[in-house]
Amino acid sequence: MNGKLKTILLPVVMLVFAFVFASVLMRLTGNNPLLAFGAMIQGAFGNPSAIINTLNRAVPICICAFAVSFTRECGIFNIGIEGQLMIGALGSTIAGIYITGLPLAVHLPLTLIVGMLFGMIWAALPAAMFIERKVNIIVLFLFMNNIASYILQYFIFGPMKGAGAAMPSTDLIQESARFPYLITSPNKLSTAFFLVFAVAAILYVYIHKTFGGYELRATGKNRVAARYAGIPVKKYMYLSVLGPGALAGLAGSIEIQSKYFRLIDGFSPGYGWDGIPIALLSNGNPVAIILGSILFAAMHVGSSNMQMQAGVSSLIVEVIQGFLVLSVAMERFYRYILSRPGRKKEG
Amino acid sequence: MFEQSIIIVMLISIVRLSTPVVIGAMGGLFSELSGVMNLCAQGLMTLGAFFAMLGTYYTHNPWIGVLCGIAAGALGGLLNALITVEFGGNQNLFGLGLNMFAGGVTAYFMRVLFKSSISANVENLWNTSFLRGIPLVGPILSEFSPLVYIGIVLVGVVAFVIYRTPFGLRVRAVGNDPRTLETAGANVWRLRGLCVVLCGMIIGLAGAYLSLGQMSLYMDGMVAGKGMLAFIAVKMGQYTPWRITGMALLFGFFDALQMQLQMSTTIAFPTELVQTIPYVAAIIIMFLNSKVDMPKAIAKPYTKQKYNV
Repeated sequence: MNGKLKTILLPVVMLVFAFVFASVLMRLTGNNPLLAFGAMIQGAFGNPSAIINTLNRAVPICICAFAVSFTRECGIFNIGIEGQLMIGALGSTIAGIYITGLPLAVHLPLTLIVGMLFGMIWAALPAAMFIERKVNIIVLFLFMNNIASYILQYFIFGPMKGAGAAMPSTDLIQESARFPYLITSPNKLSTAFFLVFAVAAILYVYIHKTFGGYELRATGKNRVAARYAGIPVKKYMYLSVLGPGALAGLAGSIEIQSKYFRLIDGFSPGYGWDGIPIALLSNGNPVAIILGSILFAAMHVGSSNMQMQAGVSSLIVEVIQGFLVLSVAMERFYRYILSRPGRKKEG
Repeated sequence: MFEQSIIIVMLISIVRLSTPVVIGAMGGLFSELSGVMNLCAQGLMTLGAFFAMLGTYYTHNPWIGVLCGIAAGALGGLLNALITVEFGGNQNLFGLGLNMFAGGVTAYFMRVLFKSSISANVENLWNTSFLRGIPLVGPILSEFSPLVYIGIVLVGVVAFVIYRTPFGLRVRAVGNDPRTLETAGANVWRLRGLCVVLCGMIIGLAGAYLSLGQMSLYMDGMVAGKGMLAFIAVKMGQYTPWRITGMALLFGFFDALQMQLQMSTTIAFPTELVQTIPYVAAIIIMFLNSKVDMPKAIAKPYTKQKYNV
């Protein structure tokens, strides 16, 4: 089997396995998987309003997936996106509430940039410790995620506590920092939607069509060889962690500025974690990343309908997600299984 | 008098809170010494806590529950052995995947069995009543779960096994230089597989302590950061059982402090920030000792030629 086919076949096989596993689990617990997945699809794409819901949900997931994927080009596994997203959201909430009297054309981008900067700053410490002192970056990312969630709680319950909201949250951000809606009927679709395509285009062109992107990928393939070839390896490693930090901050800011308009405790249902299996399965292909994000968003959005119609808990989505990450860890196993029939014929 | 009682309350809660981290870290030590990153501690502990509750729920015997927790951990360890040892998969990915998967599967079954994120109350292992007869300290000693004592014994046993037995020597060798060990005639994969299964069993016990020793139920997310702390304690304790225990007790101290502050009405200190202390301390220590002797082959799969396709 040739390599090209495998990069497409392998993720598809993994997805099929994950859904088969989920179906078996549903069957064992006395539910009808066909009915359940039908209800899920109905809930995600059944009517225009649901489709818009799914698209809105896909926006932050997609940006996070691009962030993870960009770091992967440089050979680093980025699981710090969730923390950077939270801190980015905190940054844009601060800028959105406390900067006043600016017109929308200035305040909106300014707030986005503050969010991106916050996300980038949160990525800077793990980046520097990993690149300069070779500290395990996976562990650092996990710690920073935990610290970020506590810091967020501190601000929401402490200094930035808003008045008179049902949930623990901050005050609302200024009108001038909110994304305008593209359409409001049958459901609200925010203009933030277009940012995904901008991010996709910029990253694709940078990684595949510029000299810098070439050097970045060379660094990812083999750091030692890249250094001997005169590539500034450290520069690209910093770029590949700080850039995604800014992207994670952007995703967090978009959630605040286009959906909630305030910082709510636990506002992110794990967008940063969603991004990881998508980035791993898509192998850096931007179209696959966008499709994967829509698939994941559809699973999340459709799962509440599945719970209502078919009585299957929406938590099955988490099972599918975990199964997918385990599948990627089992890549060698899948390759071995897939290559066996071919081998028998040769032998 | 008041001062004294608050010190005793603190000490009791430090022991209670650090027990799952101590036990979990002992399991993690085996896995990490043999060269397999134990990022999956969180997932294993979740499995242990859930199945310990489930076993007790069906049999009404908490000790059978503990065995179920250990068995569930062993199953998680077996999966680890299959994916990261036999097939040489990426250990970080496996850890992350198992954490997500265990969280998802247990939460799904909670909905199926209990229709809620909190299980029914089951029999627990809160007290060790036969110690009550000991004069003076008896009443305090009997306040702890028997699993606490098992944990204390476990630290001694693990230290003995690692430093005083041929098996311990092999474990340390396989984490540093698997190729040499294979040349010497040992089976690298079987040894590592054994270590991760052992790790799963011990962390399963830690999970059982959470659901039966600390509470008498299981709820989603009850493991919270405990598995993560067990993972950190191994690294911060520089792979030696006694130092790891010290680190776990330190985490227990911060946890107890945070709970006291939460209850206290006189001191208004943000408890969210106290909870970040173990993580911040870990980052600082990792920064200072970035040259710690960690097992040299850690996170490097030792791959079998036959699966190279």
